[in-house]
Amino acid sequence: MKLRKTKTIEAYIPTASMADIAFLLIVFFMITTVFQVDKTVLTLPASVVRSEVVKGSAFIVVTEDGYIKVSDGKEDTHPIDASDVLSFAVDLMSKDPEQHVVLKADKRVKWHVIDKILEQLQQARVKNLQFLTELKTKGQ
Amino acid sequence: MKLQKEKEQPEIPTASMADIAFLLIVFFMLTTVISATKGIEHILPQQDKDQTEQVEKEESIYIKINADGTYSVDQKEPRSIRDTQFLYDYVYGKVSRNYKKPIIIHVNPEANYEAMIAVLDTLKQVEEQVAKEGRLPADKGLTITIPTSSDLEAWGY
Repeated sequence: MKLRKTKTIEAYIPTASMADIAFLLIVFFMITTVFQVDKTVLTLPASVVRSEVVKGSAFIVVTEDGYIKVSDGKEDTHPIDASDVLSFAVDLMSKDPEQHVVLKADKRVKWHVIDKILEQLQQARVKNLQFLTELKTKGQ
Repeated sequence: MKLQKEKEQPEIPTASMADIAFLLIVFFMLTTVISATKGIEHILPQQDKDQTEQVEKEESIYIKINADGTYSVDQKEPRSIRDTQFLYDYVYGKVSRNYKKPIIIHVNPEANYEAMIAVLDTLKQVEEQVAKEGRLPADKGLTITIPTSSDLEAWGY
């Protein structure tokens, strides 16, 4: 008796779920993406106690030379004058009185520059402030 | 003669779906910044100037940061800003008995921002320690004030 020839099954990789996997990854990246509002490079002061910055916080950036840049947390930072921080902060508070503000300042900035900013933030009734820092490692 | 029309099954081409999806993935991967941005929290005072509670220098822990990178606590001799252990022990000793004790950080206008952060960081470490020991009510922190120059003027310091 002649044996019937075995049927060959064609080998293939199932690709039907490829799109599902891809979209899952997209959703993950979309949720975790935080568009960085500020790309200024400066040396942050170091601290041991640190807590996570609230998503969507407004930024005030102070460079070593005392230049100030601000962002409402949505757009990129733009430079402003030291005396215009008040109007910026008042504008922020009118939109959301609980808005968190992050101060990103170079560690070598003189205190009177920061002092002027804090004064204007207090006048605008900003409540939640955060000083951006780096993690302090031993020996520093 | 009757023409035989072949019926075509309608369908949406999905072959390129994965390509589109991966393109989007690449975009999000490139734009994502998984930057662990962290910092020290500080609650700014919310008060009207006339309602300000006058705090006497003597009742509080008064930390003065000088322009030359030194600090002094409550009229004690100045110490280098790197020697924060002394500050930690001193503040801890006072605060563990009374967490409401106001702490004032008076920063010289010519001092570096870094010095203020070092002091504030030390105070926050004390706060963590006191909270861990259960001496701090929940949702309460130490009373830390960083007066601005106009505050200091108003207080007559």
